Amino acid sequence: MSAPPEALDPAFAADATVVVDDVSVWFGQKVALSELSCSFGPGVTGLLGPNGAGKTTLMRAMCGLIPPRRGQVSVLGHDPRGHRDVQSRIALVPEEDAVPEALTARQLVRYQATLNGITDTDAVERSLAEVSLTDVADRRLGGYSKGMRQRAKVAAALVTDPEVLVLDEPLNGADPVQRVALIELFQRLGAAGRTVVVSSHVLHEVERLAERVIVIVHGRLAAAGGHRAIRDAMADRPRRVLLRSDDDRRLATGLLGLDQVVAVELAEGGVTISTGNAGELAHALPGLSRRLDVRLREVRALDASLDSVFADLTSR
Amino acid sequence: MTAPAALRPTGSPLRRFPALVAYVPRACLPARRLAVLALPCATILLSGLLSRALDDSAARAFTDVAVLAIFGLAMPLGTLVIGDAVLGAEVRSGTLGFTWLTPVRFWELTLARWLGGWLIALVTVVPSAAVAAVIAGAGSLIGPVVAATAAGAAAHIALFVLIGALTRRAAVWSLAIVFVVERLLGAVLSGIAQLSPTWQGQAVFTGLGDVAGAPRRRGIPEGWEAVTRLGLITVVCLALATVGLRRLQLTGARD
Repeated sequence: MSAPPEALDPAFAADATVVVDDVSVWFGQKVALSELSCSFGPGVTGLLGPNGAGKTTLMRAMCGLIPPRRGQVSVLGHDPRGHRDVQSRIALVPEEDAVPEALTARQLVRYQATLNGITDTDAVERSLAEVSLTDVADRRLGGYSKGMRQRAKVAAALVTDPEVLVLDEPLNGADPVQRVALIELFQRLGAAGRTVVVSSHVLHEVERLAERVIVIVHGRLAAAGGHRAIRDAMADRPRRVLLRSDDDRRLATGLLGLDQVVAVELAEGGVTISTGNAGELAHALPGLSRRLDVRLREVRALDASLDSVFADLTSR
Repeated sequence: MTAPAALRPTGSPLRRFPALVAYVPRACLPARRLAVLALPCATILLSGLLSRALDDSAARAFTDVAVLAIFGLAMPLGTLVIGDAVLGAEVRSGTLGFTWLTPVRFWELTLARWLGGWLIALVTVVPSAAVAAVIAGAGSLIGPVVAATAAGAAAHIALFVLIGALTRRAAVWSLAIVFVVERLLGAVLSGIAQLSPTWQGQAVFTGLGDVAGAPRRRGIPEGWEAVTRLGLITVVCLALATVGLRRLQLTGARD
């Protein structure tokens, strides 16, 4: 394994339980992870990235389901593929919908408990209760909604009381009430010293969940740190905003005088501007509108999708 | 770098193994797959009925039909449905992760999946063959046909478990191996027939049945020797499947 990471590097956790060291994974011609190094420690860490960024591959490599082509992964100091017993300390909640449909939730959780050598007979019921599935635990998983299946998978993961819990888009399909309950559950586990890694492609979801965020784009580490630092990094990037008003020409002239505006383009559909600080621009616009006596009809970010934000982060 | 942490005891394989085996009939064979399995079983029963239409002694007629319909077609297909369900289908759907991500050793997983599948064959394919012999009026062949289908199913399921551990397109490869390698090449090359559960199952039946004038495959062991050969094929396939599972990449159903 390579030299320990620098203590101040936000990609590395101080008391790491999972270490990803220079890991590359590719499938044929497609590179899924490229020379990725980071680590995860106690608490909740968000794994953020657009679809196809490599989050799922990283999580599967962390659990040993996929062997790295280069580099190493260690969980609690062990290779998760080579050391079978480490599987009792790590649990994965996969994103995909697949579950053994003929089993009931209780059977699935009990199966996991038995295979992991859990002798506490109440553990199964406790896990089902944690995700509010007790009442429907004897129904077959094939009849569950997507959100219920997701919760059943969480219950199956929790029954082993894992030290490392890896959750791939765990809130997919959950209703708002269940989302809140699951977020609280993950935060409670993190606060109790468990290493909880949660992936999402939704920034605000990760913000609610995790105090530390690792951003992956195109299989590479794009950013890491507290979610405020990540958001600030994203807010600093130039953004394109479309403005429509009752007098676009006059508005365009006025916009040229604003410090926040980098470029102005007048077209038939409105005024498109580039801004280096979208937040300050939002504050300045009402005053400008009053001063010019122009009525704003629409203010819309043109590139607010996460993909463009992520793309910008990687191009730095 | 973190120092390796001490890992808690993960329980005895003796406690895990029954749960692993019980998972197979509970989770691997949903109603739709059972319905598909009913087709080869029905074909086996039908072969008993068809043999009555032949103008020959009951034993000879049943042997002729069984060699073609049971050992040449229905048993390989029935065991393929089961053998693919116990591993290959789980790899494809992504549900194998529920078992793979546990401290279960790979040999336990391989053995449990095979045993679970074989037990299913023992209550579906094998009794169908016994009933077919009764329908055919060939009571003396019940023992040989039960031994042959049980031993043949054991080897076939082990072969399909091996294919499931090696490739994601397990069903397609299994079909190709049964019909192209076993049936087609095995009919010409005794070297392949000697390693083929289809031909060896048939050889168990014809050897133990010992019906005068019955079709026999030359160049391969018969009777109990063929049972031993099928046992060896089973063990080798399971050993290779264990190695295959160790190298398996579970990329998920979408990949």
